[in-house]
Amino acid sequence: MNILILNGAPLNGRGAAHIIIRKAIENESAARGLNVTAFDLAGMDIKPCHGCFACWLKHPGVCAIRDDQENVLRAMAASDVVVWTTPVTFGGYSSELKKALDRFIPNLLPFFALVKGEVHHPHRYVRMRKLMVLGTLPVPSPDSEKVFRMLVDRNALNMHSTNTQVALLREDAVETGIQHAVKELFEKAEVL
Amino acid sequence: MERQKALLIVGSPKGLKSTSHVLGSTLLEKLKSGGMVAEEIIVGAALHSEESLEKMQGALEEADLVVFSFPLFVDQVPAPLIKTLELIAHRRAARRPEQQQRIMAIVQCGFPENIHNQPACGTMRQFAREAGFVWAGILAMGMGGFIGGRPLEKAGGVVRNVVKALDLAAAALLRGEAIPDEAAEIMGKPLMPRWLYMVAANWGFRRQLKKRGTRKQADARPYEA
Repeated sequence: MNILILNGAPLNGRGAAHIIIRKAIENESAARGLNVTAFDLAGMDIKPCHGCFACWLKHPGVCAIRDDQENVLRAMAASDVVVWTTPVTFGGYSSELKKALDRFIPNLLPFFALVKGEVHHPHRYVRMRKLMVLGTLPVPSPDSEKVFRMLVDRNALNMHSTNTQVALLREDAVETGIQHAVKELFEKAEVL
Repeated sequence: MERQKALLIVGSPKGLKSTSHVLGSTLLEKLKSGGMVAEEIIVGAALHSEESLEKMQGALEEADLVVFSFPLFVDQVPAPLIKTLELIAHRRAARRPEQQQRIMAIVQCGFPENIHNQPACGTMRQFAREAGFVWAGILAMGMGGFIGGRPLEKAGGVVRNVVKALDLAAAALLRGEAIPDEAAEIMGKPLMPRWLYMVAANWGFRRQLKKRGTRKQADARPYEA
């Protein structure tokens, strides 16, 4: 089983907790015998999506921009579990995580189809996957957390995720607290 | 009395050719007709250099009303616009203009249902709160693909509700009020029946694939292990 970790922490103070989070996810994955692929997105050359749809129409499945995102797309297609980690940013993801997510379009098909009563794009790849998302906040913020959970739910629908779990942690959480939260997340997602 | 300043920030990578620009600039024209001074900035260009970024920050500090117009990307605000919001909030944490500033947003997605826009609406409202702006509301719509970057007058009667919503929003903003619920409700109404939009969009995709000679590769899986 393959697990893909996308670390969306920026290269500033808000990213510190994510070093511990990433390590905890890697340790938990190793304990469960998973093959881990991890990307620290902040240091990668991933340009913004042009919205050109060449990945649907001109050369289906391949983005017109050739940069580090190609490795992310390849790993995504091969993954059984995906983990996103990010500082909660205005109730959403950091720009570092989002720059990679915006470029997931090649892994979808252009056509519209009904999914649970709503229109979505079918997936290009048959493999289904689970989604785990870890967000960090400087202080508890019910409004921000509500938007964040809603966003993850919407992404899960679009990704056709088979099991979606969210955890929200304080940016100053201690290592043991992070390890506990990560373990709980894996258990809830039934990543065996 | 000094004229109020409006700043349009367009978050689409297609810039001036985008539906986001069509919607935002239509609103801006209405605000100008009502006596406001207006300026517009494209996010991609603003993030291009330190100099252009500083120019955007300067224009933002001068503005009484900031209008963000953007397409929905993967259920949310596009990454370059999130980056812009991060930079604005960072600047305002250290130095905030004395005058009260209002922000509003326009978001449109290619899906027929408006519900897809909800997280982006929440994020823009949360940004206003965290960066210390007065929230003036948001106009959100589905079926943005129908406009396809055309001026609204060329899109015909199908977009009459969009025009009406922008009229109502502009009138309220000129009075110093938030966007009325009626405007948001009208903006969110489907432009056409969902089945028709789906049929038209799927037909359009197939036609484009055929034109490019890629129809047989449409469901290719280049990264399959």
